[in-house]
Amino acid sequence: MPDDIAIETNSITKIYGTSKVQFRALNNVSLKVKRGDFIALMGPSGSGKTTLMNLIGCLDRTTSGEIILDGQNLSILNDNQLAEIRGKKIGFIFQTFNLVPTISALKNVELPLVFGDMSRVSREKIALDLLKKFGLENWARNLPSELSGGQQQRVAIARALANNPSIILADEPTGNLDSATGLQIMKYLASINKEGKTIVLVTHDNSLKKFANRIITMKDGEISEHK
Amino acid sequence: MIADIFLMSLDALRSHKIRTFLTLIGVIIGIGSVIIVTTAGSSVRIFIEEQWNIFNPTGMVIGIGTAGDPPQISFREMGFTDHDVEELKNLSYVKEVAPIGLLPLKAIKLREGFLKWQSKAGGTMYATTPALLDIMGMEIEEGRMFQDKKNEIVMSKSMTTLFGVDKPLKVGDTLYIQRLDGKLIKTTLVGILKESENSNIMSQVTSLSIAGPVDPYYSTYFGSNVGGIFKHVTAYGILYADATDKEHVDDAKNQILNYLNTSSDAKNYKDKNSDFVVITQQYIISKVDQITSVMSMLITSIALVSLVVGGIGIANIMFATVTERTREIGTMMAIGAKRRNIMSLFLYQSAMIGLLGGVLGVILGASGGAFIIQILNQYLKELGGAFSTGNIALAYSTQWFLIAVIFGVMIGILAGVLPARKAAKMDPVVALRYS
Repeated sequence: MPDDIAIETNSITKIYGTSKVQFRALNNVSLKVKRGDFIALMGPSGSGKTTLMNLIGCLDRTTSGEIILDGQNLSILNDNQLAEIRGKKIGFIFQTFNLVPTISALKNVELPLVFGDMSRVSREKIALDLLKKFGLENWARNLPSELSGGQQQRVAIARALANNPSIILADEPTGNLDSATGLQIMKYLASINKEGKTIVLVTHDNSLKKFANRIITMKDGEISEHK
Repeated sequence: MIADIFLMSLDALRSHKIRTFLTLIGVIIGIGSVIIVTTAGSSVRIFIEEQWNIFNPTGMVIGIGTAGDPPQISFREMGFTDHDVEELKNLSYVKEVAPIGLLPLKAIKLREGFLKWQSKAGGTMYATTPALLDIMGMEIEEGRMFQDKKNEIVMSKSMTTLFGVDKPLKVGDTLYIQRLDGKLIKTTLVGILKESENSNIMSQVTSLSIAGPVDPYYSTYFGSNVGGIFKHVTAYGILYADATDKEHVDDAKNQILNYLNTSSDAKNYKDKNSDFVVITQQYIISKVDQITSVMSMLITSIALVSLVVGGIGIANIMFATVTERTREIGTMMAIGAKRRNIMSLFLYQSAMIGLLGGVLGVILGASGGAFIIQILNQYLKELGGAFSTGNIALAYSTQWFLIAVIFGVMIGILAGVLPARKAAKMDPVVALRYS
């Protein structure tokens, strides 16, 4: 397998539900994402794009088929090992920002490093540098509730980058923002992509297509279009 | 990392101050009552020990009254004779016996010149034998104990200022004791009793202010006699006795009762319906223990109930918190938190509630204990009599502070286990979708 493949899925299927009521969220999906790609996963709700993202993000396990991330086969890993992969190789960005409301912006950015067991001094420096990069150095000590939506999402991006992951998974990152702020966020994602991060963007906003170099459209748990 | 997760738990508590406090109340009350009980218990125990250790631990009071539980001594009834005292002394487990004759005084007089007298109201004098000193565990501070059949007395330190603080009585002074029947007896003050730092029950019962030998003060007194017109016998209402050692106090008591009920003079002189009563110090201590143990059982059960309720409260609030923070849990898992990190996050939080509850409970209990002791002292004063001058000193049993705090933390952890497990077992995908 060539080294420049960041994500590879081999005919993965995901079935939710009990033996009586089953829902096939993904059906035989095979996909290769190159290092440095900016993928837009599109499609209507229920098409399986978030399921695919969760599987790539090590939050869930496939029913069949395998996912290989940076050469690592995920299906043979236990819960703790998956958590470690999430902490080291993947950065998540959510539609609802998902910051921890009781701790400061800085601490939120530090959080992945806390779970990665880094010393306080080094992780504070990393977190501050990242906040600076997104123009938030003056908001470091503020609680998330004291920040605007755009600012919160920038904190979330900083948090996603804290562990210096190779893959960024963004699930409708602009969904809760006005279009101007959304555009700003997308520009940040684009610049991160330029720095070499592989980005998988889940969205159904057609205007965001232009930021991606590959567009994958899904329908009923299968890839229907691949550009 | 542990420290950071711990700090995050603190932040979570800080952001819900009122909720945290309300959750704490149960634990605070529970721990607080434990501390109040232990504080009151240790203070009262020390008080009782102080009261009784001054009095000889093998000592006992013999009287006539009503047997039963508790036994009562009627101080009015007389019957013990000198012969009885001698016979009791010969019992194998009895070391010493001293009679107590109560001699009401009309006045105590001091002669300051040929025709110049000073007179003070007299109170009650105790006619006894020198053996009393040992039985009561008292000491002479100055001078010596009186001797039998001599016109000598000893008095307590506080009595020496009877005629004024500026001219205290001294060993060797001559006094005139006037009995209720008017008879004036010239007397030498030969000794001053050492005042114990804590007034004890026995010194209060006897209010041993003045004591002298039976002869001449008591035996010639009309009120001391029993028997028919032709055969007057000196008799006493109370005897103090001392057992040979701590192990044989009950044996001594049985021997005494056996003698009194079978062959004593007192048997003939006492009222038919009255009983002989022997009250040992050990009996009184066991009574006190009984009362305090009933009290502490009662309060301990209240404490346990409120701790259980407090624990349930913590568990309840932790379940609510876990549910409320579901999406946060999902997020933390997404950014690399392992299940055990999530588990400890919530366990720390509930342990923290327990710790806070423990610490605040100890503070509440410590001040509540001080308050209770104050009330008890007030009550003792109002009770009057034997206890009126005693004061219960506040004595914390500090090891309970630590035990209580640890207990609080344990309750917190126990209450947190299920909610924390629930959090740690969440499916991150489901948790992230939660709204």
